[in-house]
Amino acid sequence: MCKYSTTLIAWLDRELEPEQMAEMEQHLRECGECRVNIAKYERASQIFDDYCKAVMTAEPDRVRRGWMPLLSAAAAILVLVAATAVLLRTRVHPLPPSPTAIVQPAQSPLVPEPATPPANVMRPRRARAKPVRTQAGNWLLLPPQPAVEVAIPADSMFPPGAVPEGVNFIADVNFAPDGSARQMRLRPRLTAIERSAPQP
Amino acid sequence: MTVESVQITLPFSRLASGAREVTSLYRELREPLLRYLVCLGLSKDEAQDVVQDTFLSLYRHLTAGGAQNNIRGWLFRVAHNQARNRQGSYHRRFAEPLDPHFVPMLDESTPERMVLEKEKLHRLAKAIATLTDSERECLLLRAAGLRYREIGEALGMATSTVGDTVERAIRKISEKLDV
Repeated sequence: MCKYSTTLIAWLDRELEPEQMAEMEQHLRECGECRVNIAKYERASQIFDDYCKAVMTAEPDRVRRGWMPLLSAAAAILVLVAATAVLLRTRVHPLPPSPTAIVQPAQSPLVPEPATPPANVMRPRRARAKPVRTQAGNWLLLPPQPAVEVAIPADSMFPPGAVPEGVNFIADVNFAPDGSARQMRLRPRLTAIERSAPQP
Repeated sequence: MTVESVQITLPFSRLASGAREVTSLYRELREPLLRYLVCLGLSKDEAQDVVQDTFLSLYRHLTAGGAQNNIRGWLFRVAHNQARNRQGSYHRRFAEPLDPHFVPMLDESTPERMVLEKEKLHRLAKAIATLTDSERECLLLRAAGLRYREIGEALGMATSTVGDTVERAIRKISEKLDV
């Protein structure tokens, strides 16, 4: 067996040192066996590469043939229906309270008073609550206004020129009653970043 | 409720240059990374998740002043490890025979050639099944255009070991395929 046979593939991949590359090229002019082997290895590499591309191209079709599209469509419809139901319920409560309901607390003193939030917890008053679905699947009523706005310069997130001048971003952060950040929303703002005076 | 605007100071130049680097690497390596992950056995959706996470890690790595040499090897290593963490969800094995109907290289072939190519594909799947994990991974990374040094970084192997492994794997395939 030719002593160069073990470095043929490294030569094919241009992984040899320059002087070894030159030596191999000289050898290949003289050795028919190595030329045959090089051609074999090149063909095997090509077929393997094609196979990788084929696996990639075949992949989406394998997924799409299953039940997944139907299931995800059904899930999307369910989410829409649930969202509509919650939206309607939060808005449509036009029924006037019945007289019995008004009298009820006086007649039954055992009904506990609604719990008042602790004074030290940051809990904003809500003008109109907005339903949001959390990752855990619960519906939360989040305040329409954020507790804190963080101004972020556009050039801290994008390369220069990617965002028109004067555009910056504001991150609205809301907090859960336990003080952890509950929701963050990023929105663009068209003015330069400046510190605005805290509102009373 | 009190609404305040809080101005925060960020290391602008470092973040911006990191973002530029990530953007150009993303353009170059997104497709090869996806292909590598799908060939490892992830679904395309999972592969896309892993690629997103990998580039997020790269962004953090660069903005934290992490090492920039062999960054391609670094990217494939992070993606590879994330794929391994999802190994439980591997839904198919690479060496599973492909449905010839979905193989694009057969699309424009003549019927005779198609029979030949199908036969070759079948033999290739069998040949790939005989490779060890590291042989298969080396060949996949080589097919993604990585140098031996980068493959070594991705798989935690010495460059010389990568050379030997690639050599062994190509010989095996070439013998099994009889090309």
